[in-house]
Amino acid sequence: MPREHLLKIGVSGIRGVVGDFLTPGLACAFAQAFGTYVGAGRVVVGRDTRSSGEMLYHAVACGLLSAGCEVVDIGILPTPTIQIYVGATRARGGIAITASHNPPEYNALKLFNSEGLFFNSYERGELLDLYHQSDFRRATNAEIRRATSDYASAPRLHIDRVLAHVDAARIRQRRFRVALDAVNGAGSVMTVGFLRDTLGCDLHAISVDPTKPFPRIAEPRPDTLGDLSNLVRSSGAEIGFAQDPDGDRLAVADETGHVLDNDDVLALAVDAALRRLPGDVVVNLMTSSVIDEVAAAHGRRVYRTPVGEANVVEMMQAVKAVIGGEGSNGGIIFPAVHLCRDSYTGMAFLLERMAETGEPISALAARLPRFYRKAGQVAYEHGRLGTLMQALEESFPGVETDRSDGLKLILPGAWIHVRASNTEPLLRMAAEARSEAEAEELYARVLGLFV
Amino acid sequence: MIPPQAAKSLRISHVGLRGVVGSGLTASHVLDFAAAFGTFLEPPGAVVIGRDPRASGVMIREGLLAGLLACGLDAIDLGIAPTPVIQHSIRRRDAAGGVSIGASHNSAEWNALKFFGRDGAYLSTAEAGELLDIYHLKKFAFVDWTRIGRVTPEDRAIDRYLDDLAANYDFAALRKFRVLVDCCNGTSSLILRRANERFGTEFILINEKIEGVSFAHEPSTTRDAVALQLAPLMKPLRADAGFLFDVDSDRVALAAEDGTPVSEEVVLPLIADYLLPRAPGKLIIANLSSTALLEEIAARHGGKVVRVPVGRQAAIDALSTYRPEQIALAGEGTGAVMMPQFRFVYDGIASMLAVLSMLHESGRTLSQVLGSYPKYSILKGQVPLVTQRIPALLMRLRERYSNGRVNVLDGLRVDWPGRWFHVRVSQTEPIVRVICEQRGGPPKELFEALLEAVGQASWPVPW
Repeated sequence: MPREHLLKIGVSGIRGVVGDFLTPGLACAFAQAFGTYVGAGRVVVGRDTRSSGEMLYHAVACGLLSAGCEVVDIGILPTPTIQIYVGATRARGGIAITASHNPPEYNALKLFNSEGLFFNSYERGELLDLYHQSDFRRATNAEIRRATSDYASAPRLHIDRVLAHVDAARIRQRRFRVALDAVNGAGSVMTVGFLRDTLGCDLHAISVDPTKPFPRIAEPRPDTLGDLSNLVRSSGAEIGFAQDPDGDRLAVADETGHVLDNDDVLALAVDAALRRLPGDVVVNLMTSSVIDEVAAAHGRRVYRTPVGEANVVEMMQAVKAVIGGEGSNGGIIFPAVHLCRDSYTGMAFLLERMAETGEPISALAARLPRFYRKAGQVAYEHGRLGTLMQALEESFPGVETDRSDGLKLILPGAWIHVRASNTEPLLRMAAEARSEAEAEELYARVLGLFV
Repeated sequence: MIPPQAAKSLRISHVGLRGVVGSGLTASHVLDFAAAFGTFLEPPGAVVIGRDPRASGVMIREGLLAGLLACGLDAIDLGIAPTPVIQHSIRRRDAAGGVSIGASHNSAEWNALKFFGRDGAYLSTAEAGELLDIYHLKKFAFVDWTRIGRVTPEDRAIDRYLDDLAANYDFAALRKFRVLVDCCNGTSSLILRRANERFGTEFILINEKIEGVSFAHEPSTTRDAVALQLAPLMKPLRADAGFLFDVDSDRVALAAEDGTPVSEEVVLPLIADYLLPRAPGKLIIANLSSTALLEEIAARHGGKVVRVPVGRQAAIDALSTYRPEQIALAGEGTGAVMMPQFRFVYDGIASMLAVLSMLHESGRTLSQVLGSYPKYSILKGQVPLVTQRIPALLMRLRERYSNGRVNVLDGLRVDWPGRWFHVRVSQTEPIVRVICEQRGGPPKELFEALLEAVGQASWPVPW
């Protein structure tokens, strides 16, 4: 029987299937630990559109209030918008109630520090210890603070930040015909306003009802975006955007309805950012080498980190990167807006490049250096990764390796990467090369090691 | 020995959950109790919730909502609302139950949850026992993501409650009274201010500001609390009657028009005197610690007093053993009164309207009415408790006072003609209560003797 992670409490926070696993009591206790950790000040709470969000909001608010924090409820909003609001209002911290791209039965708490950033790995460890010690601050009646709400100002803050880095007038002038699939998620209302009203697009949108469940698999990938492709074709849109339920991830369809590779979307964003600002780039180990070539064209360097947004963000801070992200999951991080994955910056960058060049998005993508990737996964068994790594390294003697997250073999013009997923019981494998045949061959060699 | 304060800063019992927030009552207690109640009620259905203005009520509300929604129940949130209004709304909205967040007459650092069933009444002891079992077992019936509940706010509850009061009392007739009310920073101001707007009544409110942290004075409905601010203002403001409510408006105390603070013991007999003539021969359910004046009032109208142990739960259980039409009213000597026309919930506002209606119909002043009653003097005291000595103490007292009529339903009560005492262990505080009453002047000698006997049993601690 496959192992399912119905509840996971760890350094990334708390995540699980709502009901018998992720209970209101656990969410409350975790929030109480968080409130104790950040101290008795304002803590911002927002959420995505999951049906369990309202219930968990109340559990989280209860935990925060009992730790003596003041709760600011900002309602249903994308995760980047929540993070920006936390940082801009100088709150003690923030909590986003969202399981991001996971299925609807899941929910989770994403935890942010006073700058609206994910806690670094050391802070996450301390918080987890505090949770396990259960030695929470318990405010008395005189110490308990209020719960307030502010539903209006966060979207404005976020959009203004994005507009500071793109030429909105130029985009508006083009009146792009744009298709959108917001998966009935946290972006449903805000993204419609952003594309139609702020950027003046002729918008054709589906799945923008935040009261309805997710109509498709929540993760925006080429194989889950059939409806968007159809919408692009039927509406004659010049570009199509898809978000995940908490609006941090972005996927893009070109004017033919073809869903672009997420690594290529990141590469286009990296190119757009490096045209504006000088600096280096940070991506995870699994992201395509297309990023290195785009950065090299601007004379910039690429740093690699273990997989995970928090890891990328931590490195971006350390090297003062101007752009970063994770290719496979559609995360674009542009610190000038905020150090978080932000689909809105991504949408604005691509529309602006189209306006600047006058070229269709398919042509911009076609001009990227061509790499071929083959990726897959197998069920995880303990001990399997180690033996796989040993066998892999032995079969490519003398090759440059990176062991910071699983094993990455860096071959001339190609690479292989194997690692264990942080969130699911899976081993993830990927190979990339300049030709499709070579990518297939490298991937087959990895699979062969399992026999 | 466990320090008494620590031992009693949290109490989980058939009456619900009650404690000092932070040191005793915590978020996890609230969540577990809410989930237990949700499991007990079984979805689908809605639960009406409301709170008194204590600051901790904000936190407790969040935990309560989380637990209820997670069990698949919807919530109808009245916000800051008097307990009788919450109970009224349960029936009106055809809800599955209700919860009142508020520590009533306790000081601000306390809070509590009171649970109500489908009819808006308190849970019976058997129902409350089942709720407690679920709480202790901690196996809650959380639903999957497709069936999680939702919250809807409701802001018409007070108006609909006033409609119901207006059907039972003649507000137009009560307009002639100038009524001074000490709201004790609680929820009664919400109702009375609205009553003035709608019915043209003249309720003059003091301490009417809703307050979460420090109340103007202890919110207890006692003569001592009435004497603090309400009674001295009666004559200067030329008020016809004065009333003081606890924070959640389920209890009431009185001041007469001449500035006299009235004993909390008199509220129940006074309302009995108003209701019994319309309900001849019916029963009054009262506890063993309440004044013997009740028996005299009952005798005047051919009614009968049924004495039950102290505490709301005993009164609720006693009520269920009679047909509703057998009962004239029920209550305690704390200003908490239940009337059949309000489906037997403690309702301070309805109690006040009954007293005002009595003044209107009799054409007499409150001091004239009270002056027509025989004088009773009651003395109340308390002694810190040493739990293991209580049975022996009660036996010794029983032997010493064996010449009286003995009742051991709740501690020890002994009656003589025109005199009685009651010694019992408090359910809410770590103390032994001593109550003594006599027709005429105060029974000082008996009271002192009892305090001394109880005090000997209480101190010094044996190790």
